[in-house]
Amino acid sequence: MSETLNYWLVIVGILFVLLNIAAFLIWVERRMLALWQDRLGPNRAGPFGLLIILADTLKLFFKEDWIPPFADRHVFVIAPAVIVISVLLSFAIIPFAPAIQIVDLNIGLLFFLGMSSLGVYSIVLGGWASNNKYSLLGALRGASQMISYEVFMGLSLMGVVMLSGSFSLRTIVEAQKDYWFVLLQPVGFVIFFIAGIAETHRLPFDIPEAESELVAGFHSEYSGMKFGMFFIGEYLGITLISSITVALFFGGWLGPAFLPPLAWFAIKTAGFILFFILLRASLPRPRYDQLMEYGWKILLPLTLLNLLVTGGIILFLNQP
Amino acid sequence: MLLLEQLPVNYAPVAFQFFVAVGFVVVTMLATHLIGPKRKTSDKLTPFESGVEVQGNARHPMSVKYFLVAILFVLFDVEVIFMYPWAVNFRELGILGMLEMFTFMIFLLLGFIYIIKKGALNWE
Amino acid sequence: MNVFFYIAAAVAIISTLMVITRKHPVHALLYLIVSFMAVAIIFFQLGAPFVAALEIVLYAGAIVVLFIFVVMMLNLGRETSLQEKTWLNLATWLLPGVLGAILLIELIYLISTQPNETLTIAEIEPKAVALSLFGPYVIGVELSAMLLMAGVIGAAHIGRRTIKHYHRFLQEETK
Repeated sequence: MSETLNYWLVIVGILFVLLNIAAFLIWVERRMLALWQDRLGPNRAGPFGLLIILADTLKLFFKEDWIPPFADRHVFVIAPAVIVISVLLSFAIIPFAPAIQIVDLNIGLLFFLGMSSLGVYSIVLGGWASNNKYSLLGALRGASQMISYEVFMGLSLMGVVMLSGSFSLRTIVEAQKDYWFVLLQPVGFVIFFIAGIAETHRLPFDIPEAESELVAGFHSEYSGMKFGMFFIGEYLGITLISSITVALFFGGWLGPAFLPPLAWFAIKTAGFILFFILLRASLPRPRYDQLMEYGWKILLPLTLLNLLVTGGIILFLNQP
Repeated sequence: MLLLEQLPVNYAPVAFQFFVAVGFVVVTMLATHLIGPKRKTSDKLTPFESGVEVQGNARHPMSVKYFLVAILFVLFDVEVIFMYPWAVNFRELGILGMLEMFTFMIFLLLGFIYIIKKGALNWE
Repeated sequence: MNVFFYIAAAVAIISTLMVITRKHPVHALLYLIVSFMAVAIIFFQLGAPFVAALEIVLYAGAIVVLFIFVVMMLNLGRETSLQEKTWLNLATWLLPGVLGAILLIELIYLISTQPNETLTIAEIEPKAVALSLFGPYVIGVELSAMLLMAGVIGAAHIGRRTIKHYHRFLQEETK
């Protein structure tokens, strides 16, 4: 029984930390954007403006929870829940440290891919249920973008799987004792990261939201904490992609012994989260046709080629 | 009657996590529903269209292009799925497995080249 | 006894019934996703985690997306639910329903008369799936590649229109 209690404690603890990280990222993102754009950013509430997090959250809670009369009520409520639940479930397989992992599935990577493919529904159903033209367009674009980039998202990870011979993230991290897989799989890493940005529809791939043309796209009609759910889902998605990248390509918790493993994992993940924000600060948004053609015509063949080359080299080196 | 024996691997944590995640979402959405004010004004009763009067409704048939992307996604996803078990067991399958996968990829690429030549992926 | 198995089985049956009885196509598809996920959990329980993952990635994550796109593309909505309502009246489903129930009772009787037998479930690792897929069943894999190629080629012709130009100058220009 104490084992079950232990599970519950670890799970609740991890989710608590993750949600706090997601909230904290609101402040981090605004401060970092301000830094890179030579502004101050939120600096009034509390030390360094940190209390802006609390203010934002409370504001969202006290907004009117509006379900439009023209919307499809049930689907409208389910859509924002889907993205948060699917992203939170994905965190179950991430090895934060040797002792901190909710479950070590032997199909860990496939579990992650399955959960991220369920995230599409949040967008397509949210946009459809809103019964708003902007939302519908945003949902269509978003769904097409996500499914296009999903095709080679899984495929780009297969190089790592070939090297380690396992879908389990723990085994993959342990296989990187000598050298990080980013050295052996640079192409796979870059493609996975691009696909990850497209999956979380962050800038520069935020075409489903595109404030300037679609006025927030699929979540135009959402308010209060339902909108907050999409927001949390996005920040959790950034954290998820960053931590998966760290676990698969940058050695996870492995690092010199002067810091504990969890600290190494956190530092590397924080680096990638900052990189996400830097991308937002520095890149323009591509046109939709460019985005789709780039995905299908360049990244997909490149991923296949990467797989074949990796396979060829491994076989060549393994020859007696 | 078939009686199932418990599996050695424990998947229960995933179920626990699912319940915790659902619990969080339900509590948050209920809280905002109960706390927030309720004011019905006539402006809110129509979909947002940048302040311009609403024309028609959003139940428009969409472009067939998106549908084509969805079909190609399903087809390529099935092809990709065949590569997952190959990749995980790559070393044991060896050169023979590599050749088999090479043949498989050639079929995939033939279809891929065809759709590119036909311009099915061009967005006008 | 495995409680999770029975919970997942009950969810699968109930959600599949809801798929059939919902009148709005999008609501039916939502239940279909739930049904696929319940089936995935059953596969987990039966020691086939790889199949379970594929069930979610392929069926719940890809094929239902295609269905939703079809619903959105054909703009199925209120009219379709009215149509469903007229199709699903009592007179239509009563007799098939009763006959199906008779078969179900017979099945339950047959199963309950079997002697009890405990199945030991062995977990099949993804590696074992790969060994049989690219070992004895490699012909099937290559044949499915051909089939998928045919599908891709067919998809390339969806929604293609030959634009007719009635003016002869325009015709030459776009050739």
